[in-house]
Amino acid sequence: MKRYQLGEFEEIVLLTVGVLYDEAYGVAIKGEIESRLKRKVSVGAMQSALRRMEKKGFIDSRLGEVNKLRGGKPKRYFTITAYGRDALQHSQDVRLSLWNDIPGVALDL
Amino acid sequence: MIKQFADVIFRWYCHPDYYPDIQGDLEELYTGHLKNKEQFPQLKYCVDVLLLFRPALIRPILNNTNSNNIAMFQNYLKISLRTLARHKMFTTINVVGLAIGLTSFLLINEYIRFEQSYDSFHQDADQLHRVSYLVLNENGQVMDKDAMASYLTGNVLKKELPEVLNYTVSKKFDQISIRSGQNIFQETGIISADSNFLKLFTYQVIHGSKETMFNEPWSVVMTQSRAKAYFGDINPVGETIQVLMPYKAELKVTGVIEDVPDNTHYKFDMLLSDKSLKDGDDYENWDYNNYYVYLRLADNTNLKAFEAKANEVFLKFEDDGRSKLDVHSVQDIYLKSDFTFEPQPLGSEKVINFLIIISIFILIVAWVNYINLSTAIALERAKEVGLRKVVGAFKHQLVIQFLCEAFIINLIGGVVAFFAAELLLPFFNQLIGKTIILHAWSHLPLVYNLIVFFLIGTLISGFYPALVLSGFKPIAVLKGKFQNSKSGIITRKALVVFQFSVSLILIAGTVIVYKQLHFMQTADIGISVDKVIHVQIPDSEAETEEEYEAFLSRFDSFKENLRNHAAIAAVGGTSNLPGGNASDINSTTTRTRILGFTERMGGTVYIQYNDDSFLEAIGMKLIAGRDFDKEMKSDSAAIMVNESYLKRFNLPDPDEIIGETLQFGETEDKGKRTIIGVVKDYNRTTLKSQVEPTIYMPWMNADALVIKFNNTQALEFVEEEWGQFFPDVPFDYGFLTERFAKLYVQEERFGNTFLVFAGLAVIIALLGLYGLASFISLQRSKEVGVRKVLGASQVQIIYIFYTYFFKLIGVAALIGIPLVYFLMNSWLDNYAYRINFPWIISFSSLIVVGVLAFLTVAYQTSKVARLDAANILRNE
Repeated sequence: MKRYQLGEFEEIVLLTVGVLYDEAYGVAIKGEIESRLKRKVSVGAMQSALRRMEKKGFIDSRLGEVNKLRGGKPKRYFTITAYGRDALQHSQDVRLSLWNDIPGVALDL
Repeated sequence: MIKQFADVIFRWYCHPDYYPDIQGDLEELYTGHLKNKEQFPQLKYCVDVLLLFRPALIRPILNNTNSNNIAMFQNYLKISLRTLARHKMFTTINVVGLAIGLTSFLLINEYIRFEQSYDSFHQDADQLHRVSYLVLNENGQVMDKDAMASYLTGNVLKKELPEVLNYTVSKKFDQISIRSGQNIFQETGIISADSNFLKLFTYQVIHGSKETMFNEPWSVVMTQSRAKAYFGDINPVGETIQVLMPYKAELKVTGVIEDVPDNTHYKFDMLLSDKSLKDGDDYENWDYNNYYVYLRLADNTNLKAFEAKANEVFLKFEDDGRSKLDVHSVQDIYLKSDFTFEPQPLGSEKVINFLIIISIFILIVAWVNYINLSTAIALERAKEVGLRKVVGAFKHQLVIQFLCEAFIINLIGGVVAFFAAELLLPFFNQLIGKTIILHAWSHLPLVYNLIVFFLIGTLISGFYPALVLSGFKPIAVLKGKFQNSKSGIITRKALVVFQFSVSLILIAGTVIVYKQLHFMQTADIGISVDKVIHVQIPDSEAETEEEYEAFLSRFDSFKENLRNHAAIAAVGGTSNLPGGNASDINSTTTRTRILGFTERMGGTVYIQYNDDSFLEAIGMKLIAGRDFDKEMKSDSAAIMVNESYLKRFNLPDPDEIIGETLQFGETEDKGKRTIIGVVKDYNRTTLKSQVEPTIYMPWMNADALVIKFNNTQALEFVEEEWGQFFPDVPFDYGFLTERFAKLYVQEERFGNTFLVFAGLAVIIALLGLYGLASFISLQRSKEVGVRKVLGASQVQIIYIFYTYFFKLIGVAALIGIPLVYFLMNSWLDNYAYRINFPWIISFSSLIVVGVLAFLTVAYQTSKVARLDAANILRNE
């Protein structure tokens, strides 16, 4: 079986990139995760997750337009690759199969 | 502002590809924070920058600028490691040699640093000086140097000269017996101190007040470890102890100070307040030079000028021209002082210089190994160099490559040396008899030295081979017409000669040191101390005249009882036992004359007090006159002198002065003594010093007994008798032979140290020789093949190789033997009684070097001589 190395935080970031689709750049991703998960995300943690995943091939990136608000620096937009999609799919499948195999009584607490 | 600074840092460490957009994100967040009027937006920016410092985002450390250079270095590294792995013998010899060399160098240097650190730990060490006496003869020439001065000197100089900011005067006591509860301690480290003592000498006070601890008579301040021995872990301030001798008094402990470190010339265990000094200590007498006087001078005082001023002041009080003052830094005392009556044995600057030379020699010998071996294997590297040049390597690149190799070898050697130094430190401390440092790793100067000399070593050992190897002409090399260059061979020969010379010098030096030591230990010192024990009679505790008489008669009957025993040959008493250190004697600078023979003569005269059996007990010989006689009342004013006294003062034939009168001092009718005998010179202390002009005075109750046995069974009897007569005091005896043996501990240590490091240097040199021989025989194998085909025998082949090495040894002898003479003769000059320079040893050392070289080379040469010519030449 092919291994998809995807950490928990990476998976969240990757999913968020998917959610934002065409608008997935640093600040937006950070804002989205913070508002959905109700937790603080540091730029450093998120950026290093993004670059790691880019190196692994889960996401692609392109530079966007220059924005005055950003001190003349471009945005970098991220999109999920096919490989990234497979990794997400795999991760979901594993969870689903685990979830399905839990005998009903175990969750009757 | 903060934000800008954070941004600079971020730009510095961030991966350049990621920088623009991440910085954009940060900027956007920052403006967002500003808009929402959140608190501390700049701080948040900084925190974000800090959190961005992650492995995934930072600038890569390698290949950032010119990736090609890094790749080349990686290649050099790889090739170096491969070369080193291929030439296992080359690598091993070099690593072992460099490791031994560096370890020795580091350890010796720590020792030297320690020896040079004496008394430098005091706060104003640079301004601390000691005042000592120079004793002059009638012509004003310096005859003797006495480390001690009179008590008044300090006070007077302080009063008269503004440069003296502070002073202290201290007296070192001989053994003092102290009773504390049931225990009796024999203290040898008690000195007197005034309230300035701890202001000049920096010792931490643990208990008590620095200001008041010396205010009262009979106050004592202990070092921590002595305080622990007496009182355990409690604070002993206020406790009391009893002094048995020389004063009978109760001492109150007023303070505890830290232990005195090893590296001071004036060590002590206890400080007795100087208000306890009594009239007998003559502290108001200019003639009583029994004190060490220390001054704290103002900063930037010119010592020469100060000394002159001090002597002007001194002349006001002592105008008879017998002596003058000498002022010297306390930091110089340990290594440089040549004064007598120093408080404790000193170090020797000469020994230190010798060790410096040895340590540098060892290191250079190790470096030379690397140079020799790496140029010797050049032949094998030539093709590599040629090819590299053909494909475009510059010369400087090749130099760097070979320096790289030297770096790696030196690095491995350095690391091994560091661990070796750590492991060997306990043995080294034992060898030199001092604990200089406990750990190599925690001692910064050592680590610093290691790094510096590792780098220097890399450059020195690596540079020449790198130049030679990188200088090969590619065309010649690749055509196979390569020959080692003439100058290269000469250099290598010169280096081998250097190694042989060093080995020769060190071997001969070691043997000479041991020979002098042996000479001193076995020399005829003029007395016979075999089977003689010594024991100290306890001081009388008598308080009245009658009690004292009773004590004396008890003392006499003790001696009488011993004399009556068949196994005891003689029982004598003296003030100063033979075999003590140089300052264990009395002396006077009072001028003496023999009436009718000489004028008054200056210079120090030494004085010893003996009873009437002392001469017999230690076998001292009379060359004229007679010994003291207890029965003759007139003998209380009699004296004996020794040969040196006659020599020093140009006196006539010993028989002529028997019965003449010797007078001390300038007063006409005082200090007259009759000379009843002249004794043969004997060495009371080490053979380092001359026999001094000595006067022997009678003291029938001299309390340091020497007991001569016919056989040692008498020891039991003496112990029994002791128990009868002095039941309270333990029988604490020793053999005089042991006392004399102890005198040479320092020489023995120097000999052992010399032996160990000379041995190591020779081993390194031989390792190098072995490697060199193997390379040379390999390279000359073709020549051997041709010679064999033409009919040379094995013996002839071996002969060729040996002449090569023995020629070098011959040259080494020409250089080495004069150097041995120069170095060792100057060392021997330290000793008043020395062996003649042993030429025979220099030449036998040469033979030793020859034999060692012969054995080292033997295996390789016989191997190459036995080679089958057909096998060698087949490849042509």
